Amino acid sequence: MSRGILQFADVKATGLSRVYETRKRKYGIGSQTISRINAVVDLELEIEQGELFGLLGPNGAGKTTTVKMLCTLLTPTRGNASIRGLDIVKDANKVRKIVNMVAGGERMLYYRLTGRENLRYFADLYDVPSSFVRKRVQQVLDLVGLADRADDEVEKYSKGMKQRLQIARGMINDPQVLFLDEPTLGLDVDIAKDLRAFIRKQLVEEQGKTALLTTHYLAEAEEMCDRVSFIFKGKIVSTGTPAELSRLIVSTITAELILSDVKDADIQLFASDTGSKIRSIEVVEDDPSKSKKRVLIENASEDIIRTVFEHFHDRGARVVSAALKQPSLEDAYLELVRTQAKAS
Amino acid sequence: MSFFRVLRAEFLKYFVQQFVTFRTAFWFLILPFANGLLFYSMYLPFSNRLVPLNALGFNVAVDIVGFTLIGQLLYTFFVGMSVAGVQFDNERSQGTFEAMLLTPASRMAIMLGVLFAAAAQYLWLIIGAVITFLIFFRLPIILNDPSALVLSVFLTYTALVSLGICLEAVFIHTRRGVMLGTMLQEPIAFVSGTILPSSAFPPLFLQLTYLIPLTLGLISVRLILLAGATLGDVLLPVFGLLAMTLVLPLLGKWLISHAEASAKVQGTVGLF
Repeated sequence: MSRGILQFADVKATGLSRVYETRKRKYGIGSQTISRINAVVDLELEIEQGELFGLLGPNGAGKTTTVKMLCTLLTPTRGNASIRGLDIVKDANKVRKIVNMVAGGERMLYYRLTGRENLRYFADLYDVPSSFVRKRVQQVLDLVGLADRADDEVEKYSKGMKQRLQIARGMINDPQVLFLDEPTLGLDVDIAKDLRAFIRKQLVEEQGKTALLTTHYLAEAEEMCDRVSFIFKGKIVSTGTPAELSRLIVSTITAELILSDVKDADIQLFASDTGSKIRSIEVVEDDPSKSKKRVLIENASEDIIRTVFEHFHDRGARVVSAALKQPSLEDAYLELVRTQAKAS
Repeated sequence: MSFFRVLRAEFLKYFVQQFVTFRTAFWFLILPFANGLLFYSMYLPFSNRLVPLNALGFNVAVDIVGFTLIGQLLYTFFVGMSVAGVQFDNERSQGTFEAMLLTPASRMAIMLGVLFAAAAQYLWLIIGAVITFLIFFRLPIILNDPSALVLSVFLTYTALVSLGICLEAVFIHTRRGVMLGTMLQEPIAFVSGTILPSSAFPPLFLQLTYLIPLTLGLISVRLILLAGATLGDVLLPVFGLLAMTLVLPLLGKWLISHAEASAKVQGTVGLF
């Protein structure tokens, strides 16, 4: 999805900050020491209507804190944020009517209630019109594919089913903005993949929901999001589409060579002949003979692929594979984390 | 309308979670009668022993079994309110507390729903115990004014529910619900006069005990049932209970909003 000038910001944050204070006394007596952690620092964010926006960062970067502030579970220390023009502090109760949050893990559900009872309960709390509750509950159960297990207690559900029920709970009030806080956390690969496809296709593309997804799975952000912000130590360091960020941060193309029975000196010679730079040489771990090496070459071009076979064949080595690698969001992310870590 | 929907939803959720199977529901129905038998076996050795009941101008000696049993039954309500307050600690640990606070639902309705459910659960315990108690003990009850009894029991119940709202808010705020709930039970049983006649306390301490709804409820119900008092005789504690019913919810409402706002500032909503 290509996006130009922001038409209408569903979620907008200006200078949003959050400081956590911890007060401690040594042995419970004596003078108090206060430690402060800046979880989110001057966050600027604009998410337009119908957009799936990703907030990407390592553990402790401030992703969950941001989400909690935006859905009124935490009070910001400084700054402002609004959802569809409603201030998250002053109009908190109005904001709650139009947002919902789905968190990863197996929380936020009543295990002794059935899936249907859970949804009915939350429908009442969201004041879904009484005459519509039954229909709405069935709709969201159908949406997440849990209709056939709706009358089983949640404690009998698998992890994936619980997560789908969480999404159903998140959809019960038909929110205009949905916050997805690491929704695939701890799920099997295939279940996570289904869930990602479901969020992208059903919630965003078909239902037109605006969604903010936090994750530290790079592939997830790349696969799902229209735009992504990298967040590091509470600060947004870069924002753009996954492709833009990949190109912006890692401009060079990398070549990945898998070579067998090769000497390091021959690899160095190859690099100097082609004017490229070796990023790393490592033994392929899953090769039982340990004779294969993975070589990553920076500033690579198509010429490298053309010459690599001849170069190593002449020196008695074998080229198992050779491929050019376009910069990915993962490369961009790792590069950014490296740069930020150095800077801080 | 929304307020009552939330209240009903909380009430139903509480009961469905408590009595998830027919077996637990069956034992719940049986339990009060077993409790009644337990009281019977506990108090039988003390039957026909007298204890002074001095309050509001009455100075009579009443059977210790009736005296203590009324205390025990009304105290059960207090325990119900205290246990209901602890409910939110469980919600916090299973993450549903955050899901609840995400909704625009009235916090007061949520809390009242839990309290009414707990009260209903304990009401059945009391009814069962009373039935057993009447059958086995055949205590001499002097009931001259049934309406005074109904009003006293009702206001004791509402005042305790109101106190429960405040307790819930304090438990949420401190995040020590289980500990505080347990710690409160024994001292309250002692100072409210559940087991000992409160007239035995020093005068200054006695004045303080009147701040507890249970104390006023016990004075009123005991006088009506055991000394034949009428509404006119127990107007003072009845008005006290009425005042608590009116004032404590307002205090509770303020405490709840303070607890929520404070938890959001401190970032402790999801912490157990």
